[in-house]
Amino acid sequence: MISDIESRLKSKFPDSLLNVVSKDKRITFSVKKEESYPILSELKDIGFNHLSDVTAVDYIDEQEFELTYHLWSHQEKIRAIVKVRIPRESPTVKSVVGLWTGAQIHEREDHELFGINFEGNPNLLPLFLEDWEEIPPFRKDFDTRKYVKEKYYLEEEGYPVVKG
Amino acid sequence: MDIEEKEIAFLTVPFGPQHPASGHFHALLKVDGETVLELEPHPGYLHRGFEKLMEYRIHPQNCVLVDRADVLDPFSCELGYANAVEKIAGLEIPGRGRYIRTIMAELGRILSHITWIGVLSMVLGFDSANKIAWGDREKILRLNEIATGGRLYPCYLCVGGVRRDISQEFVDETSKALDYLEGQLSFYDYFVFKNETFVMRMEKVGRMSAEEAIDLGATGPNLRACGIDYDVRKDEPYEAYSKVKFNVVTRGEGDAYARSLCRRYEIAESISIVRQLLKNLPDGPYRMELSPVWAAPEGESYFCLESARGEKCFHVVSDGSPCPYRVKIRAPSFLHTLVEFPYLAKESTIADIPAIYWSLDSCPADMDR
Repeated sequence: MISDIESRLKSKFPDSLLNVVSKDKRITFSVKKEESYPILSELKDIGFNHLSDVTAVDYIDEQEFELTYHLWSHQEKIRAIVKVRIPRESPTVKSVVGLWTGAQIHEREDHELFGINFEGNPNLLPLFLEDWEEIPPFRKDFDTRKYVKEKYYLEEEGYPVVKG
Repeated sequence: MDIEEKEIAFLTVPFGPQHPASGHFHALLKVDGETVLELEPHPGYLHRGFEKLMEYRIHPQNCVLVDRADVLDPFSCELGYANAVEKIAGLEIPGRGRYIRTIMAELGRILSHITWIGVLSMVLGFDSANKIAWGDREKILRLNEIATGGRLYPCYLCVGGVRRDISQEFVDETSKALDYLEGQLSFYDYFVFKNETFVMRMEKVGRMSAEEAIDLGATGPNLRACGIDYDVRKDEPYEAYSKVKFNVVTRGEGDAYARSLCRRYEIAESISIVRQLLKNLPDGPYRMELSPVWAAPEGESYFCLESARGEKCFHVVSDGSPCPYRVKIRAPSFLHTLVEFPYLAKESTIADIPAIYWSLDSCPADMDR
């Protein structure tokens, strides 16, 4: 089954698959950003009807975000993982809400914590943070410890005092 | 009726955010009389940013920290994190360690489900069942204390195995507690699950079809109540699950009552799993010796497990340092509360809202992380 999926995608998207790894009922694709939506849509048609998660990782040294879509097929009981690299400067990618309704909330979270824009997602309002004015907090250039020290502590008489 | 009059006719009613009923979760209900037109969830009361905090800490610290990401089923978080890190490094955990972890994971599932019986009964106005369930919960908490020293947060698991071995006292007490809980199950059947009022409140409430459930990202008992037999323990066996026999409990109705029965029968399956594991518990070491500042090699892994609430996954990226580069927790409650709950709440009545919410068995700590 996994080799069928691999050959089907390779014949359909010969230029967009950067890397394919298949191991123990799991198949991982690294794909180009431009073709990520058609590839995900094809995987949905193949039978990957459960979107488990959409994870963002900030690779600051390479100035890129990596989005990982974790898919599961309830019929075939196999997992497909799709990795997409997007530039850190203009992090925009097409939303997959039209394919899986549950994607809405994963994308909303990634938008809030990483500042990634998902074109076509109907609701990208903040979930957790209130009146947040800093850069998105899960990015690697946001220093949680420094922020907490500056925002909540006063350096008085040599030891930190919580601002009250 | 013109638009102005219509706006007056709708009322906005808050649900939560306080115990009991919703926990640390707030929702705004737009209602027309008794009917809920729309539910707008407002999470964030328990957001502690664990995924970010873990980037600053080494693996043994993270195993302790991650407990707090799911208050009612903490062991699943430890198990997921440790397994994800071990997968990157390709560590082979000793057999005894694997068995002990599986035993603890199943006890955690029983603990979570029994707590859930209590809270669900309470929000339905059935306080006696709540008190009895919370009393029974103590049996498992006592076992946690014997094995780990902690009651609610075991902090028991470390990368490479478990922190300490289980004693003969634990084995004896577990057998006793399981016998007791098995007896209690038939009591719960008679007292709660076959109770006429309970059935009336739960049947045909918050119903979803299998296609809807899959599309909304439902997992765990909520999905299995719609007839889909997705259980990570069976489909991608981890720890010692391939060595035990158990059934995946499914129902076809997809309503709140079906979800309740799924959980009730899962307790029975978990009891059977723990008994099988205790019977075949292998001897030998229970963990590998690793230095506290042991660093996982460069790489990433995605590990899924079946927690009490559903599919819980850990995506860990390591850059070769003793701290992880990025941790992402796929929390089942995140989907249950923020996607399924608003969907099911539409067109239901205000009185059904707590029943639907707790039939999905969400944990706000798990949702916000």
